[in-house]
Amino acid sequence: MATRPVDLLLGRLMRKAVAAPPVAAEGSRALALFKAWLPALVILLLLLVLPSFVPSYIQSLVTKMMIFALFGVSMNILWGYGGIPTFGHAAFFGFGGYVCGILIIHGGIANFWVNLVLVMVITALLGAGLGIPAFRVYGVGASDNPIYFLLVTLAFGELLVRVAISARSLTGGSTGLSGIPYPDLGIGVSINSYSYYFLVLGIVAVCLLVIYRIVNSHYGYALRGIHDNERRMQALGFNTWLYKYTSYIIAGMFGGVAGCLFAYFGGTMVPNNMGMAMTDIVFLIVILGSASVYFGPVIGAVIVVGVDYLASMYMPERWPLIMAAIIVVVIMFIPQGVGVLLLDLWRKVFHGSAA
Amino acid sequence: MAALLEVSGLSVHFGGLAAVKDVTFSIEPGERLVMIGPNGAGKTTLFNLLTGQLKPSGGKVLFKGQDITHKPVYARTQLGMARSFQITSLFPNETVLTNALIALQGTRGGRYRMFGVFTRDKVLRSAAQELLESIDLWDKRSETVSSLAYGETRKLEMGLSLASSPDLLMLDEPSCGLTPTESKDITERINTLGKKITVLMISHDMDLAFGVAERIILLHFGEISCEGTCDEIRANQTVKDIYMGSHKASTAGG
Ligand SMILES: Nc1ncnc2c1ncn2[C@@H]1O[C@H](COP(=O)(O)OP(=O)(O)O)[C@@H](O)[C@H]1O
Ligand SMILES: [Mg+2]
Repeated sequence: MATRPVDLLLGRLMRKAVAAPPVAAEGSRALALFKAWLPALVILLLLLVLPSFVPSYIQSLVTKMMIFALFGVSMNILWGYGGIPTFGHAAFFGFGGYVCGILIIHGGIANFWVNLVLVMVITALLGAGLGIPAFRVYGVGASDNPIYFLLVTLAFGELLVRVAISARSLTGGSTGLSGIPYPDLGIGVSINSYSYYFLVLGIVAVCLLVIYRIVNSHYGYALRGIHDNERRMQALGFNTWLYKYTSYIIAGMFGGVAGCLFAYFGGTMVPNNMGMAMTDIVFLIVILGSASVYFGPVIGAVIVVGVDYLASMYMPERWPLIMAAIIVVVIMFIPQGVGVLLLDLWRKVFHGSAA
Repeated sequence: MAALLEVSGLSVHFGGLAAVKDVTFSIEPGERLVMIGPNGAGKTTLFNLLTGQLKPSGGKVLFKGQDITHKPVYARTQLGMARSFQITSLFPNETVLTNALIALQGTRGGRYRMFGVFTRDKVLRSAAQELLESIDLWDKRSETVSSLAYGETRKLEMGLSLASSPDLLMLDEPSCGLTPTESKDITERINTLGKKITVLMISHDMDLAFGVAERIILLHFGEISCEGTCDEIRANQTVKDIYMGSHKASTAGG
């Protein structure tokens, strides 16, 4: 089968790669639920005990993986489920990080929870503002020709980069905003890089669970329907514009949460965190991990952040080249993504059948 | 009795081509109206105008007495219109069951629910079973739509448009590409719908048209060329010219 780039872009290829799950057999529901959630539980437990066994630089690497996993999964609400590819998702990530830093440094808001809620509200507002022109350009059933939407979302990101560079007094200009402290939870526990790992684990786990519920809900299936056939969805009575628009806001909001966690993690935000460089990374995370499997971007994040770390240690100046090479190899050899491979393997081992 | 659908002076142009020209007709509740006409006559385009997929360049559409000329597609469905597509239009990557569930959800409350597992919604599932049984696809419920046979996709196509329990069902060539036996199935299915559902059907297949219609409209070059009962249409010279003779002979007849 020939791989058309447009199929990849639209997540179509990836969607075809995963056969729809069989209708659950009646009776064994508790067991089926347990089986489905077992991997997640095991991973959660492993992550909880991990810091006792590994050096701190690994712990910090895993923190970063978790943040980027949330970033990737948030983008996949749009791309994998809604079939809406965007080149501007980093805008929300970087914007969320900047809002977080600015609120702390210039707004004097130290409390983490207040800050997190404000970041979510403000990035959602950004999404609500940008979504109106973006979806005017997108039109109906634009899965067939999303190029204008891609360009518009790309422009949003670059526009925010420009703004961050010029609004020097607020953002620190091109050198970025630095000096963001570790969060203050307001419960008298001081957070350091060790305990920050657990905070990120908690927030990311909750966000991933919420997003999982959303994509499997009535709303989530409407998004999948729009992905496959927007005209039919309209004929069936769905206000597809409202779904696309709200999914853009929701994806942006969770992207903002990831950015907020990232701001605390590194202590700095630079304008490029909102631009094409960061969008490239999240694109790679989703493509590599697979857009058609819920946990695909999580795997993508582990691989991309891991390779990024190794590359930055041994040959920092080659990282862009390595990244480009990975994209090419993945598109050529596993266009459906590593997530699909793993899912197949899982089904083979535990259910005795290939997906 | 007030008409269910009233169309007056409806037109649309594609560049220089007037695909639908000043079309005026109405449908009474419970009626079975069939639209016939040669390929390219503008039948599908007229459907697209009635359902809102296309914006008319002139004219007016009233549904249940409401002016819906400028209403979006989904709003018309909420009002009680439903359509099927000439070119099969399903959710190819989902199972038959999920197709039915999505279709049923379109006009029910809870469309925006973000918590709750969609595929386990009991109310929807039992409605889906009823819907799929009525089109003989319940046994195929776990199959992915892209793996169905063509005849089955046509059945599902019609099934999805019935999911909203519409007052006006608009079928665009439901038997398109089917064998005579399968086509007869469709005729039967339409005839068992009951008078609560008003049917407006496009058909190329004369057996299907005459098997369903109470009234027939002939559309030709975007205009209503003639209109009448099955017998009147059978006897009509214009229809004979178009369907038996060459297309050119009929242009003057309109
Ligand atoms: N979107 C469109 N743009 C331009 N021309 C169109 C479009 N849709 C249909 N047409 C033209 O309008 C005419 C009527 O087409 P259609 O309504 O599909 O005919 P029918 O369904 O009666 O076979 C044809 O000449 C067709 O080529
Ligand atoms: Mg047609």
